[in-house]
Amino acid sequence: MAEFFGATVEDVFKTQDARFRAEDAKGVDAVVAYDITGEGGGRWRVTVRDSRAVTEKVTGSDFGAFTTKITTDAETFIGVTVGKIDGTAAFTSGRVKIEGDMKIVALLPRLFTKYSPPSRGVSARDIIATFPERFRPEAAKGLDAAIGYNLAGEGGGQWTAVVKDGRLEMREGLAENLTVNQTVGARDYVDLMLGKLDPMVAIGAGRLRITGDMEVAKVLPKLFRKYEPKEVERGPELIVLKKTISVGMRFSTGPVMGRFLEGLKGRKIFANVCPSCGRRQLPPREVCAVCRCRAGEFVEVGPEGVLVNVEICYYASPDPLTGETRETPYGTSNILLDGCRGTETFWHYIKREDLFDVKRGSRVRPVWAESRTGSVHDIKYFEMVR
Amino acid sequence: MKKPKKNRNVGIIGVGQTIYSSHREDVNQAEMVHEAVALALKDAGLTRDDIDCVVHGNMELFEMVHQPDIWHTIATGAYGKSAFRLTTGGTTGTTVVCAADNLVASGLYDIVVAIGFEKLQEGHTTGGITNMADPLWGRHLQTGALTDATAQAMIREFGEERALRAAMRMRVQMDKHACLNPNSHRSFGLDYSQIDDLMKNSPRLVGELRLIHMCSQSDGACAVIFAGEEKAKKLSDKPVWVRDHITVHREETFTMYSLDPADRDPSSHRIAAQRLFERNGITNPVEYFDVFEMYDPSAWWGLDWLRDFMLLDGDEHLKMVENDEILIGGKMVMNPSGGVVAANPIGATAIVRVAEAALQVRGDAGRHQAPGGVRHALASGFGGTYWTVLVMLEKDLDWQEVSADG
Repeated sequence: MAEFFGATVEDVFKTQDARFRAEDAKGVDAVVAYDITGEGGGRWRVTVRDSRAVTEKVTGSDFGAFTTKITTDAETFIGVTVGKIDGTAAFTSGRVKIEGDMKIVALLPRLFTKYSPPSRGVSARDIIATFPERFRPEAAKGLDAAIGYNLAGEGGGQWTAVVKDGRLEMREGLAENLTVNQTVGARDYVDLMLGKLDPMVAIGAGRLRITGDMEVAKVLPKLFRKYEPKEVERGPELIVLKKTISVGMRFSTGPVMGRFLEGLKGRKIFANVCPSCGRRQLPPREVCAVCRCRAGEFVEVGPEGVLVNVEICYYASPDPLTGETRETPYGTSNILLDGCRGTETFWHYIKREDLFDVKRGSRVRPVWAESRTGSVHDIKYFEMVR
Repeated sequence: MKKPKKNRNVGIIGVGQTIYSSHREDVNQAEMVHEAVALALKDAGLTRDDIDCVVHGNMELFEMVHQPDIWHTIATGAYGKSAFRLTTGGTTGTTVVCAADNLVASGLYDIVVAIGFEKLQEGHTTGGITNMADPLWGRHLQTGALTDATAQAMIREFGEERALRAAMRMRVQMDKHACLNPNSHRSFGLDYSQIDDLMKNSPRLVGELRLIHMCSQSDGACAVIFAGEEKAKKLSDKPVWVRDHITVHREETFTMYSLDPADRDPSSHRIAAQRLFERNGITNPVEYFDVFEMYDPSAWWGLDWLRDFMLLDGDEHLKMVENDEILIGGKMVMNPSGGVVAANPIGATAIVRVAEAALQVRGDAGRHQAPGGVRHALASGFGGTYWTVLVMLEKDLDWQEVSADG
């Protein structure tokens, strides 16, 4: 079987079930069909159900019923699996195709620890063995904890570090009542210890999972001196500094925008009118940009109107105002409120449940928030008039 | 619109670009900027001491460094010299070019270097872009730079099948060019045979705007050196002349949508092109320009905007794509570099258009050089909520000035 990046497709699937993480698979019911084409390829079916994973080679041409099908060539499959080919680029360019439920693909890195080709060099077991010599009793004062290391894959295993009275005792296996448990692939664990893998990235990607008492988890790095690999040639260290800027802001609205926002409190939408060209501005601006004259007259428009443009967003972008990832799909729209003409549209959200029913030309109305403070959120969204 | 009066002609005498990639963790911002500046100086056969003035720019909020030009002083060579920082959104790269051209044309400085850079991996691009919308209303609704309004309008105008196919064909054409450009961030090796597949299967971002259509987030820097006519002729065997440039700002965010397309204002792209070509006596831009480096953030915008920039009507822009007229070797080559969908270090993206257009005019673009001798080139910048900059480059100082009232 053809080998790419030090592994065959068969190698990957042979270890698939051993890399399964039952604890992350609760409620998952999926069949993933893998059609790996070209030299070294083949067909596999991975079923995740009732917190169990079963991987089977498919001999015929029929995969049977599947939730999701992933089609790619053997080189790309292995390259992406071992991290040598950028998965996003492979997906973007069409080298990896996905049919059916996309969500399960995003879940896969959580359901299975990462496959690592047979390791060369230091193993997770080697690093665990250095715990006693790296332990810092002074940092463990007053700490009474059982810390689990669940390191799957070659060179891995399960250990519990019991810390009590400033002493460390290493035990094989995971204790019953762990204070903190860490689940990570053995290869990833080595990379984390060598600084090749960023812990936040590993957590974000679902490759490192920490459960239990987070206060104790936070002090773990202090309990041990940094692991220093022996007799390994090291290049210059490239440091990346992490910074977060978070500042509170306050913006004056001014009298024109202020009048508009005040109107929203009373469930009214005001546009202002250019005395020269007559166009209505929504939200109102101080002057008409085209005629460069002050637009002082306010008129009430809407609140119902007609949809002119609907955008259905599938990209799970983070909302920079909250840091939360937006639930997708969601819709933004431009609405020609009653009393407006031409391009005098109003920008707001569309009700999620109406997203696939509304069209250009649909009549919509605002759904007002119970509590209104003079902000864009005074209108929750626009909904279809049925 | 009267053509601005130059006191003297200005030539581009040096171009430097870093490679563009998803991350440059091997260098810090200043080091990355220095790579581009050093390459531009080498290209021009100059040293830092020969530069009279530095114009520096990038996106304002993407890395959250308030005045990166101060940090970058030793990298740009600005120490002890006149230096300016400009930031105008996506157009920044072309704005620093316009400023450098103006500074030299005025006679104030003989040699000016314009620099654009971005390290998008160091910050939060969508956060930065969303903060560009006004904080009183639009910031809450903005979804980064993703929209499928253009796709929907083109589908309405040309029918679904033709519009989807033309946009994807342009995407493949851009990728064919990107594969010839060693600086590309993304070159996939796409083929026309994948068009049907990508039309259906590339994941959706917004409506019919799919992942494959959209530009990347890249790290990189670009520097271009400008000199007055006398020095340019002395210092360079083949200076590229900046004939004219134009900037057009509109408030199109507010007036982009209507039920009847006839209601829509002409875009800032079309207005910029109309004014620039009129005052330079160019009646048929497709015939006139040999190369057009367009700021094309997505294949849909690239396709739609070709009509505006080239002052085309009806489906003429679709035909240019369908007949491969924009490919290297075609009638009017668009983005021989691969364009913005191939690499997008945003604060550098627009100056890269000018740098690449200049290399094409010089005949120094290497594997992605358009054949047959490029004499007239156009570069565009795009930013904010529809702002346009256009820069016209010429091989020879032989153009006829249109009357002052033109």
